[in-house]
Amino acid sequence: MVDIDYEQLMRYAKQFSGVTEQMEETLQGLYERVKPNMADVTEDFYAVLLDIPKAEPFLKDRVDSLKETHIKWLETVFSGPFDVDYVRAMYRVGDVHVKAKLPVEFMAGAMALVSTRLIAMLGTIIIDDQKRFVEAVSAVNAILGFTLMVMQQSYESSRLAEELEKFLKITGMSRTLFDNLASAYKE
Amino acid sequence: MREDMLASILSDLNGSSADIEASAVISTDGLIMASLLPANLDEDRVGAMSAAMLSLGDRTASELTRGSLEMVLIKGSDGYVVMTHAGEEAVVSVQAKSSAKLGLVFLDIKRAAEAINKVI
Repeated sequence: MVDIDYEQLMRYAKQFSGVTEQMEETLQGLYERVKPNMADVTEDFYAVLLDIPKAEPFLKDRVDSLKETHIKWLETVFSGPFDVDYVRAMYRVGDVHVKAKLPVEFMAGAMALVSTRLIAMLGTIIIDDQKRFVEAVSAVNAILGFTLMVMQQSYESSRLAEELEKFLKITGMSRTLFDNLASAYKE
Repeated sequence: MREDMLASILSDLNGSSADIEASAVISTDGLIMASLLPANLDEDRVGAMSAAMLSLGDRTASELTRGSLEMVLIKGSDGYVVMTHAGEEAVVSVQAKSSAKLGLVFLDIKRAAEAINKVI
């Protein structure tokens, strides 16, 4: 298993996605108003996913539990905190996606679907305040981008770890031998 | 003590034939136990690469139904690399000239591998 510096990953992903404390406060300020809509957003999200032939086999037998988890995560998007524990949890989600052998494009695709639905939902809640609406949309985009970055990082690491395991099994090399070989060619 | 004995075996091996240019005893994890290598060769790389090649050789012999591995032979334009097991925990890696009489080299390596196995 690869050693991950979650603190560093958090800082890097936040910098890249532009997450600020003000954005976190904006989302937290909306929490009570968006919470009742999360079930509908989730239903809509899974309805679209189940319509995608490539996605359907990964969902069909456990869609109810996935919806439950999804609602909880959506609530987290509006409550935070987006700290090391959040990064660790999202990293684990990416790892689970690899173990379930989900194609890599699913994560970015799913985030796009979530983003579209959350923005539409925000449009029904923040009606007469364009500035606030823009702030909320920006904050949602930033947090979803932040989350996606963490998950993709995990996906990449997990995929490489899986491929390495396969390589070691095929070649008969021990992990120690591989590490020594890699170390001998370290630049 | 053991390192001196291994070095002595390698010294005998290199001295047994003018065709042998370098040799090393390596753990199956790829770490050098003793070596007589030219200065331009990196010990760590020779060790790790030799053990990796032998490991792959083991798998290849098995997968392609060639029985248990006796040795891995690599022929380059400037000479040979021969790798073989010395017991279960060590690998012998030898570099020989392109003009080497391989039959004699193999015999010398086999003897050295047996001696190394006894020491280890």
